[in-house]
Amino acid sequence: MTVLILTSEEDVTADMVVLRLGEAGVPVVRLDPADLTNGVALSGEYVRGACRGQLSVGGRLVSMDGLRSVWVRRPGTPAARAAAPSAWLTEESSQALYGMLRCGDARWMNHPDAARRARHKPWQLGLAQRSGLAVPATLITTFPQAAREFAERFPDLVVKPVSGAHPQEPPRSVPTSRVAPDTDFTAVAYGPTLLQRRIAKRADIRLTVVGDTLLAARKPVDPDAHPDDVDVRFAPSVSPWQPAKVPPRVAEGVLRYMAGAELAYGAFDFAEDADGVWWFLECNQSGQFGFVEMDTGQPIAATIAKWLAGQGSTGDGCARGERGAPS
Amino acid sequence: MQPFTLNYARPAVQLDVTTPYAYDSGLQLNVLPDGRIAATDHATLRALGTTTSTAGSKTHFDD
Repeated sequence: MTVLILTSEEDVTADMVVLRLGEAGVPVVRLDPADLTNGVALSGEYVRGACRGQLSVGGRLVSMDGLRSVWVRRPGTPAARAAAPSAWLTEESSQALYGMLRCGDARWMNHPDAARRARHKPWQLGLAQRSGLAVPATLITTFPQAAREFAERFPDLVVKPVSGAHPQEPPRSVPTSRVAPDTDFTAVAYGPTLLQRRIAKRADIRLTVVGDTLLAARKPVDPDAHPDDVDVRFAPSVSPWQPAKVPPRVAEGVLRYMAGAELAYGAFDFAEDADGVWWFLECNQSGQFGFVEMDTGQPIAATIAKWLAGQGSTGDGCARGERGAPS
Repeated sequence: MQPFTLNYARPAVQLDVTTPYAYDSGLQLNVLPDGRIAATDHATLRALGTTTSTAGSKTHFDD
């Protein structure tokens, strides 16, 4: 039984898992859907009540009913590198590939439907609340007056993109940023705006969840850091990530979240305050993990490999066949 | 008429980095010029930041 990995060639983080699977003797087929019809081929037939499909890449041929798991890591847009790419060909290729894969019994990390839903950060906040995680007071609005009133109730705020996406024309980054006390909120009317109470944090937490295995890492905030350095991705790094113990109540909440989201993998970001409370910020359903593993030595790639090989703890996200069904 | 959030945008850092490894379709891994597996060379990966959580990715929201 083969593990299918959907990702780009340059995804060196995926290499860490491919290596572990190779060491375990687990067959792997790795392909990028962007190469469909130009290096990647597929075929499937529905005859006499059965569905049989095949994929080929680089001289490898794998039967879709011979897949034990599918890791949707960083796949390109289907057929993006075809000889004559088009939006129509992309949709055709996407439906052919993902539609046929959905027919199989392989378990997913993560199922595309669960992944699509899990990318919605406003949905994440609601699920985190229902899961018992601490969520900072948050407002998403296009009403300037609502923003003003929220700022009166919570004077120390940050703003960040609702989607987590960043504008590309021209390419810009929008870090989580502190909002000055006398800010004019008029422009809130021109786009949904996410305002959140700033957590005065003493550490950033990255909690990687694989099945029901929790691997937490902690990066202390520089005591001399400026309060405006809110976003760990942009703040100067003064210390490496270090392994951390997950508070039991957080662990329970995170596992409830994973079950509710039907995810097999998630990378949670928390802000730890002065009282040691872990405040939920977001859960990236395909978040990077290589940088954490290299700093902490935590066996994240090996844990993913075990899960994909069917040897790891399962959690609720490991739907086999239909989403949410027990494996 | 610029949305409020974009008041906090900054130019994206253009990482004009040439990765010193290339994909080997036989191994299904990226390989350095000397034949070593790139994923085992943590010094190179750290220098390139290729496994790091980054904001502003063109194609992926999930970092």
